[in-house]
Amino acid sequence: MNKMVLQYTAVFFLFGGFFFLLVGVVGLLRLPDLYTRMHAMGKCDTLGAGLMLIALMLLIGDVTNITKLFLIGVMIATINPIITHLIAKIAYNRGTPMAEGSFLINDYVAAQRRRRRSMVQEVKKGDDSS
Amino acid sequence: MITTVLYSMVVGLVIISLVAILRAYSGPSALDRVVAMNVITTNVVMIILIFAYIDRSYYYIDVAFVFVIGAFIATLCILKLLREGHII
Repeated sequence: MNKMVLQYTAVFFLFGGFFFLLVGVVGLLRLPDLYTRMHAMGKCDTLGAGLMLIALMLLIGDVTNITKLFLIGVMIATINPIITHLIAKIAYNRGTPMAEGSFLINDYVAAQRRRRRSMVQEVKKGDDSS
Repeated sequence: MITTVLYSMVVGLVIISLVAILRAYSGPSALDRVVAMNVITTNVVMIILIFAYIDRSYYYIDVAFVFVIGAFIATLCILKLLREGHII
């Protein structure tokens, strides 16, 4: 009886984790932009992996292996935000364009180009005056 | 019952990973491919853990742990190459 309750709870958590992984992949295919795809990856993947790890912890029921599974969960929950942050920073610095009609503009590369052009013009002006 | 659910879950995860390869194939930039590779890595870790429970051979949990760390270091190296142009 007790074992059946544990197995049904584990099946519930397994289907929850599978649902979130499926939603993450659908967002990866359907969303229009690198930043929105990264949003789908960072959230849905972490939550789905955590729910599946909880289900496997309930199924296995051994202290050593539960500790290892908990360690894998901690690693995934710290690695995924780090990777998401780095991908966002590098995409912004490389000047990846955002989707059409978004509220924000990626202006980093254009601002650097403008600054460089104004510096070049100042140097040329100095040469002309001298 | 639980074995059937776990096998169907493995089949579903394999199908999801094959669908995520489409994004890795047709991504406009290299960072899209990095994102798709990260999704596939998480799915493969889940597949390894479910097979560890089905076979009752719990040494595969250590394999999954090493796989997570190796994928993390590989992604860091790709991102550093994209940002600075060299790794070391």
